Amino acid sequence: MSISGKTAIAGVGTTQFGKLPGSTAWGLQAEAVRLALEDAGLTKDDVDGLFTEPQFNEPLLLHGHVIGRMLGMKPNFLSTQSLGGATAIALIQHAAMAIEERLCEVAVCLFGETAKTGLPMLFGAPQMGRGQSDDIAFGVAGGAVMEARSAMRYMHEYNVTHEMLGSVAITFRDHASKNPAAQYQKPLTMEEYLGTPFVSEPFRRYDCAITSDGGVAVVVTSAERARDLRKPPAYITGIGQAHNLDGLRDPNHYTHFAGARSSERAFRMAGVRPEDVDAMQFYDCFTSTVLITLEDYGYCKKGEGGPFALEGNLGLGKALPSNTSGGSLSEADLAGWNQIAEGVRQVRNECDERQVPNAQTVVVAGHGGFQASHATLVISKDQP
Amino acid sequence: MRDLESTGRTRVADATASAGPLVDLVIGMKPVVIPETSGFWDGTVVQELRIQKCNACGNTQLPGGPCCANCLSQDLTWVKSNGTGRVFSFSIVHQALHPSFMDRVPYVVADIQLDEGPIVLSNVTDVDPHDVRIGLRVAVWFDEQDTDAFGVPFRLPKFKPSEQ
Ligand SMILES: [Zn+2]
Repeated sequence: MSISGKTAIAGVGTTQFGKLPGSTAWGLQAEAVRLALEDAGLTKDDVDGLFTEPQFNEPLLLHGHVIGRMLGMKPNFLSTQSLGGATAIALIQHAAMAIEERLCEVAVCLFGETAKTGLPMLFGAPQMGRGQSDDIAFGVAGGAVMEARSAMRYMHEYNVTHEMLGSVAITFRDHASKNPAAQYQKPLTMEEYLGTPFVSEPFRRYDCAITSDGGVAVVVTSAERARDLRKPPAYITGIGQAHNLDGLRDPNHYTHFAGARSSERAFRMAGVRPEDVDAMQFYDCFTSTVLITLEDYGYCKKGEGGPFALEGNLGLGKALPSNTSGGSLSEADLAGWNQIAEGVRQVRNECDERQVPNAQTVVVAGHGGFQASHATLVISKDQP
Repeated sequence: MRDLESTGRTRVADATASAGPLVDLVIGMKPVVIPETSGFWDGTVVQELRIQKCNACGNTQLPGGPCCANCLSQDLTWVKSNGTGRVFSFSIVHQALHPSFMDRVPYVVADIQLDEGPIVLSNVTDVDPHDVRIGLRVAVWFDEQDTDAFGVPFRLPKFKPSEQ
């Protein structure tokens, strides 16, 4: 009783990415939904399921209600989730389950925010809850200092070098140079990477996800219905999530993420092995996150992700083409949503210069909440 | 590194003095003491580092919570830690994302594995940040007394290298 292959992504919509002065989160969300429905060849009236992730800056209470009203929808199924960078895949999983159970037929999943030009993120108790924000007193604000401590331990245990981290940023920037929609397209050299000052050691500027305004929406429907729509279906053949909610309080979680469990579930559902994957779209919030996820997913043994990346294996035309759009390090950082859009476009053969030839199976990784949550999505050109 | 009052904190203190607890909460650079963590913060005032312990199963945890994460018992108590341990991991912050810390960089945010087991997040002080290493032996010290947004006193527990 698996949902493998029973549903498909039938449409994706991506707004412009980057610095978009005057834009608002809900405006970008609305635009992404319109574009995704156009892509699928559907109209708003076809939609009866709405799945939303609230933006991080300028948070919106009852996000699903407000956005659903803004879109003029009367859904039969409404879900809002907040699992950090794992949310996008978790929402698509929820949508696929709801569709398979006939609780709704056409689902729109969405995210959008103005992290670049909007209000800065709030810190402290109002955002995080009383007693949940005490770490800030020690100067812990923002994502880099959270993931940096995982990276520092990982580098220490496995002799990972700065050049290994840098190779991830350089390879993904090379992919972004072939993507007209990417926020940063200028190629990056190792000299330039190593020459930038540290943000939060061991991370330099190019180890960290960029900051973006933008929106992404994804239309999910049954495999049957998807076959009659405008674009070829991207079948959801495997999907899974797993959580290490004690994060950095557990010494194992610095170097081993929940991705091992999440990918094991998704790969098993899809009936694929790591070597069957044609392209990988990591949630590259930081360069070290990619290396650790590579190992968790079984592409490399623990400690071998760094040398694997440094040898160039994540590049187009190499062993495991990864983050073919440039990812969060170069295309846009929208909590992992643009990685899903790219995965769908790869199996549809829409990626021009950065297309992975004959991409049949693409895997997307979502990683969120600083080592807490992980989700894995396997999408395939063919129904299993 | 100890000289907090002359650094970023002053600016925040100026802002909060005029606008009150709400701004302090929003800026959020201080802990907010709640019933489940008060045993920890009360301990810092008398310069004791405390760990929450479950009376039912003996599990220890930090930070404090409303129940034991091992057995869900709510029969919890606070026990004194030796305040010694090792740096399990760390980061040297060079660019503070929050204005309150911009004058303090570079500073060390570290995960200290206490000899009793739990990992506690803190700062390592009294050492050149570039001399901090994973495995470094450290001991707790307590920063000057302050109060949270609601007037509850606390001292931030920080760590410095120790000989043992
Ligand atoms: Zn217990």
